Amino acid sequence: MKIVAVAACTSGIAHTYIAKEKLIRAAESMGHTIKVETQGTIGIEDELTAQDVKEADIVILAVDIAITGTERFEGKPTIKVPTNVCVKAPKQLIQKIENELNK
Amino acid sequence: MKKIGAELKQHALTAISYMLPLVVASGLLIAVGNLMGGENVTELSKMTIPNALTSLGVLGMGLLPSFIAGYISYSIADRPGIAPGFLMGQIASFLGAGFLGGMIGGYLVGYIALFIKKNLKVPKWAEALMPMMIIPTLSAIIAGLIMFFVIGNPIVWATNALTNFITGLDQSSKGVYGFIIGALGCVDFGGPISKVPNLICDGLLLEGITEPEAIKVLAAMVPPLGVTFSLVLSKFMKKPIYSSQEVENIKIAFPMGLCMISEGVIPIAMNDLIRTVICTATGCGITGAISFTLGVGSKVPSGGVFVIPAMSNPIAALIALLAGTAVTGVLLVLIKKKKTDINETVVDDKEEEMDLSGISIS
Repeated sequence: MKIVAVAACTSGIAHTYIAKEKLIRAAESMGHTIKVETQGTIGIEDELTAQDVKEADIVILAVDIAITGTERFEGKPTIKVPTNVCVKAPKQLIQKIENELNK
Repeated sequence: MKKIGAELKQHALTAISYMLPLVVASGLLIAVGNLMGGENVTELSKMTIPNALTSLGVLGMGLLPSFIAGYISYSIADRPGIAPGFLMGQIASFLGAGFLGGMIGGYLVGYIALFIKKNLKVPKWAEALMPMMIIPTLSAIIAGLIMFFVIGNPIVWATNALTNFITGLDQSSKGVYGFIIGALGCVDFGGPISKVPNLICDGLLLEGITEPEAIKVLAAMVPPLGVTFSLVLSKFMKKPIYSSQEVENIKIAFPMGLCMISEGVIPIAMNDLIRTVICTATGCGITGAISFTLGVGSKVPSGGVFVIPAMSNPIAALIALLAGTAVTGVLLVLIKKKKTDINETVVDDKEEEMDLSGISIS
């Protein structure tokens, strides 16, 4: 499964990046490829390209706040969660996505 | 119902995330200016460098209601919401009910703008005018008139009531409220829960009440400093409670903590969440209670140890900070389990069971 994700938290300096790390580690250990864009206080980093989004099977929005560029994901299967879900239970989240997509 | 709550909260958090750099920069400007003997002036002829810094900081604080309203509205209605949102913030400043007015105005104008965007059908030639002219103007007129003539007085009344409530507290209730503000303000180390009481403190600051802000600043430093103290103490007591990896994390958390960034504690707390939070929240609460009862006030909302000299009572502030730090440190050494193997690498895959049933793919 190809996953793209956007992470953004309120202060934009910590939870955003912890969520990113956790998602990447969980996804890779479960055999998926993943790319995570961060929208922190510093701005957008690792921006998802149109190609990334096109190839993705699922979009994870790990966001506590409004983010920019949501129009890129129109029509894609999208799952939106607060960042702390990705911090606390990234594997359960991905497991759930697998189950839902295989239904 | 729960979903609406989550949505409203997301809008507020968005506004806070845009507001934080403004608060930090303006706050530090005021602090640095004040320390150099500067004060807020309104005439160019009286401008010295210290006065310039302080005055710029005060001007920055004046932008706060507009930032809150503007970015709440942006979060609701996207870009067309920004301009009318900033206008509602100006109304809030005009009413003298900056913070509360800004929040209410932001939600109000945001949803009006969103409603217009979704429901007003215009001929094709006018479509380009929608985001540029129609939505901002129309929503500003509707929400502006409501703000001035309908909810203006109630907002002013509510703001005054809150202000009077806080200033009228006696010593013992100050202790209790100080404890609550302090403990809640750092229970998740800078995460979404702590943003709520911190937001209230920032709001009260705009009304000229400085004590809660001092609690916020001091208590935010307690978790990282307390954890650092517990590390030192554990060495003395010969009871190792941190793995070598955690010790490395603490070395990073400490300088961050001095700058009032408590997030550095998260990696350590994650490994032993409940015990750590009990210790840090207790310490933060004690700092809050002492600070409030001793009447410490801070005009500066951010900056850590560097703003303590700018507080109304720096000695008392230091006492509050050290007391909370000591309590956190001692508690941690007492209730954390002794590490038998300090080289153990923490298994990161342990996950908390979470109920994800409410989340679905759309």
